[in-house]
Amino acid sequence: MGTGKDASKGDGYDAFRIDLWKPSASFEIIKLRAETLRQIRAFFDKNEVLEVDTPVLSCATVPDPFIESFQTRYLPLTQTMQTEEYYLHTSPEFPMKRLLASGSGSIYQISKVFRQGESGRKHNPEFTLLEWYRDGWDHHRLMSEINHLLLTVLSPYIELSETQFVSYADVFQSFCGINPHTVSKTELLACVEKLGLADVLEEHEHRDRFLELLFSHNIEPSLGIEQNQTGKKPCICFLYNYPASQASLAKTVMHNDQLIAERFEIFINGMELGNGFHELNDESEQRNRFANDNQDRKVMGLNEIPMDENFLQAVDHLPECAGVAIGIERLLMIMSQSKHINEVIAFPFERA
Amino acid sequence: MATYSTNEFRSGLKLMIDGDPCAILDNEVVKPGKGQAFNRIKIRNLKTGRVVERTYKSGESVEAADVMDTDLQYLYNDGEQWHFMHPETFEQMAADKTAVGEAHLWLKEQDMCTVTLWNGNPLAVTPPNFVVLSVSDTDPGLKGDTSGGGGKPATLETGAVVQVPLFIAIGEDLKIDTRTGKYVSRAKD
Repeated sequence: MGTGKDASKGDGYDAFRIDLWKPSASFEIIKLRAETLRQIRAFFDKNEVLEVDTPVLSCATVPDPFIESFQTRYLPLTQTMQTEEYYLHTSPEFPMKRLLASGSGSIYQISKVFRQGESGRKHNPEFTLLEWYRDGWDHHRLMSEINHLLLTVLSPYIELSETQFVSYADVFQSFCGINPHTVSKTELLACVEKLGLADVLEEHEHRDRFLELLFSHNIEPSLGIEQNQTGKKPCICFLYNYPASQASLAKTVMHNDQLIAERFEIFINGMELGNGFHELNDESEQRNRFANDNQDRKVMGLNEIPMDENFLQAVDHLPECAGVAIGIERLLMIMSQSKHINEVIAFPFERA
Repeated sequence: MATYSTNEFRSGLKLMIDGDPCAILDNEVVKPGKGQAFNRIKIRNLKTGRVVERTYKSGESVEAADVMDTDLQYLYNDGEQWHFMHPETFEQMAADKTAVGEAHLWLKEQDMCTVTLWNGNPLAVTPPNFVVLSVSDTDPGLKGDTSGGGGKPATLETGAVVQVPLFIAIGEDLKIDTRTGKYVSRAKD
């Protein structure tokens, strides 16, 4: 009591002890979050994109073998009824597409999403996603709108060089000297060995795993950074035209005799900020991809995910559209130049 | 065989890598929005002290290294080995030149040291941060010079040579910071 220390400062830390009951983010950054969300809502308001709200809890989830959902159980009050399995969403994509398929027009949502196991300097298992869809647009038009929004939000806080648009093939060519669409397994093995990453993957694994290894270790850290004689400067970098095997929920098209996915990702300062698609609107193709995902899950020893019939039945009704999901915490990290995601979340996982 | 999964990786964790015990200095999850996640770790080889980077597919397991730190009292050196004793169990243990390394310059009989054990055998010895050692040889002190402006080498009882102020004389006890190998002050009685 009354030792002369200023207890009202509330910076989250004292000299010798971390008090887990206090927020890990400063109030400056807590205010920055509020201000950023306000700006984003104003942006969509001005552009007549409707804010929507879809369930966090759902009877089905994404079967992607590299995204794990939190699972929970609904307990009915009458004991004669069986309990039911539910999932916390990993993104609001499926119900938002059901709205689009029902004629909503362009929509956006800011929601908390949940992913198992994702914890670290740039990950918190619960995080905030800004997701939006543009009715009638393709991914190129959407990329230019994203660029506009990011410049609006970021410019007061950091100086950005001119935005870059590069293809997946171009970055692999310039960083690894390979064509990612046609490269052989033998060349991939030689390439990872040259980078001292020989033992990370087993030879029989899918070539996409090797591309992901090369990408995350040798390419991603340099994306969204413009380098010239005067030094390094951050910029927004859009990477597009992914291999068709990494299409996820994007349309695939023939491009220079190569089947590619109309998918893109956004990077700033070597960090991924978001992912977008020219959205697939072919139900049978979507069913095939989910079935393949479940097949891959089986091989990896993971549980099978029930098909989201509500979503699948909407896919054929989905208009031509493009959509993107951007991590709000990553955006705040860029704005505040934070090294750890905990600096931009009041109560991250360890304090939740 | 005990193992750690990549989701248990954190700094300080001891792993067996390429047959050597290593400590994690930094763990970074490299997880794309879509696709395979990796754990990229920076590790120190506890035998050689070298720092290297390693990548593991997230979800894999790595063998744990049975490494622990114990506080032991340094007893004596028999010419080949350095002998230590547990202050409560009186159990004795000998460490060779590789394990003791540079620490032999700061080991004084009766001092408590941290001995890192790997599978129960000494792997490394860390002396206390500060030790008091007497000067066995140095040039004659300059009377009246207490400025500490200049300096001269002094040989200590353990054989270590440190830079000391000109006024220090043979037989004096000095406080030394073992982490930097530098003179701190005259030892106060």
